[in-house]
Amino acid sequence: MHWINWAIVVVYVAYVVIDGIRKSKDTDTIAGYFAANKSLSWWVVGLSVMATQLSAVTMIGTTGQGATDGLRFVQIYFGLPLAMVILGVTIVPMLHGSGVFTAYEYLERRFDSKTRSFTAFLFLLSRGMSVGTIMAAPGVVFSAIFGIPLVWAVALIGVPTVIYTMVGGVQAVAWADVKQMVLIVVALVAIMAVLLIQMPINPHDALTIAGSTGRLETFDFSFNLNETYTFWSGLLGGTFLMLSYFGTDQSQVQRFLTARSVTEARSSLLMSAYWKIPLQALVLLVGVGVFVYYQFVQPPLLFNPTHEAAVSAERGAAYQALEEEYSSVFNLREAAAVGVADGDNEADVAAAMETFLAREADIQVIRGEALAMAEEVTGESSRDVNYIIPRFVLSELPIGLAGLFIAGVIAAAMSSIAAELNSLATTTVIDFYRRWVKPEADDAHYLRVSRGATALWGVFACFVAVYAATLGSLIEVVNRFGSFFYGSILGVFLLAMIPRARSNGAFAGLITGMAVVGYFNFMTDVAYLWQNVIGAVVVVTVGLVLSGSGGEQAKA
Amino acid sequence: MTDPDAEAGAAASDSRFRKTLTQVLIVQVLALTFLGLLQLIYAA
Repeated sequence: MHWINWAIVVVYVAYVVIDGIRKSKDTDTIAGYFAANKSLSWWVVGLSVMATQLSAVTMIGTTGQGATDGLRFVQIYFGLPLAMVILGVTIVPMLHGSGVFTAYEYLERRFDSKTRSFTAFLFLLSRGMSVGTIMAAPGVVFSAIFGIPLVWAVALIGVPTVIYTMVGGVQAVAWADVKQMVLIVVALVAIMAVLLIQMPINPHDALTIAGSTGRLETFDFSFNLNETYTFWSGLLGGTFLMLSYFGTDQSQVQRFLTARSVTEARSSLLMSAYWKIPLQALVLLVGVGVFVYYQFVQPPLLFNPTHEAAVSAERGAAYQALEEEYSSVFNLREAAAVGVADGDNEADVAAAMETFLAREADIQVIRGEALAMAEEVTGESSRDVNYIIPRFVLSELPIGLAGLFIAGVIAAAMSSIAAELNSLATTTVIDFYRRWVKPEADDAHYLRVSRGATALWGVFACFVAVYAATLGSLIEVVNRFGSFFYGSILGVFLLAMIPRARSNGAFAGLITGMAVVGYFNFMTDVAYLWQNVIGAVVVVTVGLVLSGSGGEQAKA
Repeated sequence: MTDPDAEAGAAASDSRFRKTLTQVLIVQVLALTFLGLLQLIYAA
């Protein structure tokens, strides 16, 4: 990468760390360190909520998904606005007004310590795995693209993040998120602007070409439980996923607990309700734009440079023959795409489109052969969706803008990782250490333990990142892990809002919910979004039935 | 005895909430309409 691009990245990372450390004032109490003394404005919290959810997996995985699959992934967010409104009138006032530091602390007040501890443990398990996964995504890509060892790439992102999170606590995390969200949006808008300027055809023709390959089909109204992305799974399953993620996952709950008031906490969530779908559509459209651009500028046959080098070294002649065939078919497809754009009449355009689609099918066959070759040579999954956008950025964007986008990817990674590390440390200290090990220490002691816990979780995350790097489509992996627990955890919090629910019923419901979701996950092909609904419904149903049948009294 | 100031405050808060919900709904409808038009006009 050009030195100017590196300079932009280094300056940005240094700025975030220094600014984060400066925010460590007023963090000498646990109220300051964990909850910012409930002093943050709605827009700071709102941007922090958005930045926490938008990780590097979105910047490189979802954009890549837009390039290969089109817009339909945006359906997963159709339930988000509804979920935010529901949370604003239910869980937000319930948690913000109770003075808790963690969502699970509330469960002990409502139910009992075993429900609190088990739910907190599930959070540590799922979030602990996911923080390593979201560190792995940019780490793997940077390692391949820049030709540096994976451990260095992971350290580039992980070490600065751990530093400012450990020193500054939730205030440093929130204010860093504000800057990171601005950079992310600027980077996405900049890449879209460059695509529009450098595209050799007009936007209408670009959309025609994208549409002809199915990449502009956002809405799928089929009611198929096995189909991952449909309107219904997004609206219903997605609502439950977003209710659980934004309402019960400590990495998000800790965001709105820092707001000045319940009203400002609600407003912070409504920012995501406004902007998440348009922002996600922009992310996917960037990918679609790169796909169209690559109809006129030949991309690499394999986007992962490490795999490309390995295949060239081991299967030189065969790979070269494949590349020549690819080039030849690419030129035919490009000519057809030009014909679609410049056709004089409808008949010419239709003929050009038919040729274009036939050559596109040929390209997919050749790519399939190359990917199979890469898998045989390397012994790894050859899926290279996550490399499409980084390769495009580094080879096609002007110097400076490429650095901006890479800094944006790092920003997205840091914002999510920082929030997750901070929340993991908070839950470790508040729900386990203070609750079970040392309940009577002073704030200074808990702060020392919190900083140590942040550092330990950071090391754990880096360790997982280095070994989780071989996973496939990372964004789907992150969401699948979440769906295993989220629905059931949401069910427990729903029970908390129902007066007749009792502790033993809630606990039994939680176990049953997870067992049923486990069955659907491992024994059926039901799409993971529906598992959030299944988990929540089972927990609430079993919890209420068992609460009604026993003699357990309500908590005073 | 009801507190008129508290009632006025609650009514103003409800009104702000309804206004915000309306704005959220409008933005989502616009975004989904844009995506729907892309699909209707350009999809194969």
